[in-house]
Amino acid sequence: MEIRVCIGSSCHLRGSYDIINLMKSGIEKNNLEDKVNLAAAFCLGKCGDGVSIKIDEQVISGVTAENFNEVFDTYVLSAV
Amino acid sequence: MNDLFADVGYVSLNHVGEELCGDMVEVVRKDNELIVVLADGLGSGVKANILSTLTSKIISTMIAENMSVDDCVATIAAALPVCKKRGVAYSTFTIMRFIENTEAEIIQFDNPAVILLRKGKNYEYPMNERVIEGKKILESRISLEQDDVFIAMSDGAIYAGVGQVLNYGWQRENIIAFVEANYDYRQTAKIIASSITDECNHLYDMKPGDDTTAVAVQIRKRKPCNLLFGPPKDQNDDNKMLALFFSKQGKHIVCGGTTSKITAKYLGKEIVTRVDYSDPTIPPAASIEGVDLVTEGVITMARVLDYAKNYLQDNSLFEKWEKQNDGASEIARLLFKEATDINLFVGRAQNLAHQKSDLNISFSIKSKIVEELTQCLEDMGKNVIVNYF
Repeated sequence: MEIRVCIGSSCHLRGSYDIINLMKSGIEKNNLEDKVNLAAAFCLGKCGDGVSIKIDEQVISGVTAENFNEVFDTYVLSAV
Repeated sequence: MNDLFADVGYVSLNHVGEELCGDMVEVVRKDNELIVVLADGLGSGVKANILSTLTSKIISTMIAENMSVDDCVATIAAALPVCKKRGVAYSTFTIMRFIENTEAEIIQFDNPAVILLRKGKNYEYPMNERVIEGKKILESRISLEQDDVFIAMSDGAIYAGVGQVLNYGWQRENIIAFVEANYDYRQTAKIIASSITDECNHLYDMKPGDDTTAVAVQIRKRKPCNLLFGPPKDQNDDNKMLALFFSKQGKHIVCGGTTSKITAKYLGKEIVTRVDYSDPTIPPAASIEGVDLVTEGVITMARVLDYAKNYLQDNSLFEKWEKQNDGASEIARLLFKEATDINLFVGRAQNLAHQKSDLNISFSIKSKIVEELTQCLEDMGKNVIVNYF
């Protein structure tokens, strides 16, 4: 699985740094290092409602530190 | 014209408790000449400030108009107000004039003698003594070589630490040993000057007993650098802008997410991103084969502008951008330290999502950054050309 977190200007201002760190620790906690490749993305074109992440071909917008666990469970844990 | 460039930088420390500095530096660039005048007015505070301002301004203007040193000295003698307490009108001066980056003319009156580093080592140059209006003036003409560094100081530098940590102050020989030990041809004139004044400030225990100034001029090889910031207003101009950008000599920096995408597409290469932050407030830089540096746009550039403004003042953030590996620090190193000639390619496309969102990153912010950064780079003495698309 390929996860890309947008680090474009507007997602950065909405907290990409925190999302990347949450993603790193989520992957580590669930021992998904072999299954998931985490990278950054330059602008996923959803600047109005960041932070955007792209999981394989699906773009998920509006990710925040608050809803992170939910997003991680739905899109990452249940899919790997 | 050769491919050399005279980079100039200076830093002054004020006498403890004074708001104004009694040392003054004037820099004039005219045609193929660089004229730098350092004047140190008698005393400190307002009086010294007026004396040194008049002296540096009069001399730099007259020298730039090709008038003789004799005329300059006669003019200041007649123009300077006489100090009531001391009964004299007095300001020392050092004139450094660089002609077409091939020859330097150094004229000195009562300041510590200019230090010349050639290949990083102290180089003794000949001086002719002449008396003008009762003043002993030292004159020199020196053929320039690449990486020559000229350092002029006010006497606050050589008196640093007197009676505090040193018996005789930080003498000229000590300063020579210091600059030789710290010599690195990749440093800029500003960094050399600030390393000297920082050391003086330490020796004075942060309470300078005299106005202290160091001015450095470094003869460098010209280095062009090109920076692309934002996609063009009309998408049909993508290829035109990129073709022109990549046709330029020197390093290439690409700033902005969308800008990086069109660049990657143009070059037929992938954008390789990183998730490691060197500075949590700056999005991590990326890379594209064929581009020297790829960064996010407006946040990174706003930080570069902060660093540029600080560099022109006391350069206190230098330690930060010198070492960090975030995009803004890397751009700062390339533009401030390395480049002498900078081409900015600015695209005027508006990111609709940015305009609509509640975040404060509209196009007007971007053009303001470009405008202010251009001014800062010019104040650093660089040749800047801005191209809009």
